Order: sequence, then C-alpha cells, then structure tokens
Amino acid sequence: MAVTGDIHDSAKVLALGLATGFGAIGPGVGVGFIFGKTIEAVGRQPELRGQLQGLMWLGFALTEAIVFYALGMAFVAYAIA
Amino acid sequence: MLPLLKVDFNPVSEFTEFVHHPYVDLPLGLDINKAVVYMWIAALLATFLTLFAVRRSLKVRPDSRQTVAEIVYDVAQNQVARGGLPEEGMRIWFPYVATLFVFIWMMNLVGFIPLPFGDRHFDLFGLSIPEFQIYAATANLSVTLALTLVTFFATHVEGIRYNGVIPYFRSWVPSDTPWWILPIMVPVEVISQFVRIVSLSFRLFFNLLAGHLVIAVFLGLASLLGTYFILPIGIPMGVALYLLEATLIAGLQAFIFATLSAIYIGGAIHPDH
Repeated sequence: MAVTGDIHDSAKVLALGLATGFGAIGPGVGVGFIFGKTIEAVGRQPELRGQLQGLMWLGFALTEAIVFYALGMAFVAYAIA
Repeated sequence: MLPLLKVDFNPVSEFTEFVHHPYVDLPLGLDINKAVVYMWIAALLATFLTLFAVRRSLKVRPDSRQTVAEIVYDVAQNQVARGGLPEEGMRIWFPYVATLFVFIWMMNLVGFIPLPFGDRHFDLFGLSIPEFQIYAATANLSVTLALTLVTFFATHVEGIRYNGVIPYFRSWVPSDTPWWILPIMVPVEVISQFVRIVSLSFRLFFNLLAGHLVIAVFLGLASLLGTYFILPIGIPMGVALYLLEATLIAGLQAFIFATLSAIYIGGAIHPDH
C-alpha cells in the first residue's frame, strides 16, 4: 500500500502515541507496586484489611492519574502542533 | 462488503462537536448543550433514587433498598468524610462531600448508558433518530473544573474562617523551616495549592474521557481499520473495558474526588504544621 498523506500529520499521531505510551510506563509500575504492597501488608496483618483497602484505592487513583497527565499533555501537543 | 465499514466513524467527535450545536443558544457561553442535559439527568437520578431508597419509613431490619442506601451512606460518612474532615467540620462539609460522591457517581454511571443524544441521525422506519452513544458529563473539563473550584474556594474560606488570615497562610509552610529555605518553600507551597485544581479536575476528566474513548475505539476497531478480521478481538475487548469502567472506575473516581475534597478541606481547617 502506498504511503499517502502528510508527514506532519503522521508525526503528530506518532507523538501522541509515544507520549501516552511512555507516560504509562511509570504509573504502570507504580500501580503494580501499590497492589503488591497491599497484598503483602494484608498477608502480614489480615485484621487491617479494611483500612488498607481504602488507602490502596486512594493510592491507586493518585498514581493512575499520572497516565492522564501524559495523555492530556499529548492531546494538547497534538492540538497545537 | 457489509455496510459497517462504510460508516465514517470518529470516536473523538462526540466529545468535541456538541459544543458547536447547543440545543438552546444563550449568551456568555451558558448554552444548554448535551453536557448540561447529562448533568440534569444525573442530578434528577441522584435526587430521586436517594429519595426513593429512604422515602418509606426506615426499618430496624432493612430491606434491600434500605441496605443499599445504608452502604452508600456508610461509605460516604466513614470512608470519605471521616478520612479527611475533623469532627467540627463534619456538620457543614459532610453533606458537601457526600453530595459530591453521589452526584459524580451518578454522572459517571449515566455516562455508560447509551442515550440518543448523538449529533448524527439514522433512519428507522422513516423516523430520523439520533445515534445512540455513551457520553459522560464528567468527560468534560468545564464540569470537573467547576466542581474543583467549589472545593478550592471552600478550602481557603474554611481555612481562613477557622484559623484567621495570617495563621492560615503561615500554616502553608512548616513552622520550623529555616529562614533561608523560605524563598524556595513559599513559591513551591503556593504553586502546589494551585496544582491541586489541575490535578483534581484533570484526574476525573481524563479518566472518563480516556475510558469512553478506549471503549469507542475497541468497539469501532473494524470500522477504523477497515477490516473485519479484527472484530473477534475488538468487540470482547470493548465489552470487557466497558464492564471495568462502569463497575469500578465510575465509582472509584467519584470516591477519590470526594475523598480528596474532604482531605483538602480538613487539612485547611486543621493544618498539620
């Protein structure tokens, strides 16, 4: 299939994908860490499960939001480039 | 080929195009458009579902409706409000954070019901029906930013009211900070107060926007790529993501928004340092 279209547009799309993808690496590690550590903590002290779960969801949402900062900035870059 | 591939499918357009054709055009940008209607639906549902759940006399042995209402109330009081608010702030701000929790949750949930508010129409037996689509009021920065600004102003008004102007602003930096760090600490702390606006509103906004976009992209993957071989992957992925978002993310983001609002307001009423 022949390549058609503008190299500028394709670069913008590539930048959007790359920025989001790289931005997802760190939060991915962080979210895994949070769940892993919570499982570890519940394994040690099962009676704290309720409190730990509340903290876990809070930490999960705070960490996960970092992906969306990357995505948001990628959208901004895509829109103004 | 089947007609599916001929559809000009753009998953982004439903989040951007509606701004240009509001239902009622009002000055100052106070248009009544799709997002406003979605907020109305969510507000009505939040009000009347809650009333419906607790309207009849409450019983000592609760039935299923009352049990659900009690669980939601318990989460709002013990997890959301008690987690951040001190006891003297509960009387004013527990209703606020509980309302935020229920209202945002309803807005998110309404966003996962396909409703006929699309800009494009299709013909069914001669009737022109708008396309069914999933759109959430919270997938709109104006909505989340407005809610965030309420929390932001509430935080600082309460901080000043409980502590006085000078002690409140002095409480932003730790009292035992050496004087030569202050030129760095003060700007950082002031900026961090304003970064809260960005982080609180963007978290909710992009969670819902990205969630809806990913669902739309996977369900419409065949149309986007122009091939049918992707359908066995795209449809199950889309349905799985839909279930994840509708059950977990919708409630979780409402919970997080309300909890952080409570923590911010509580932190202003009783500064740690």
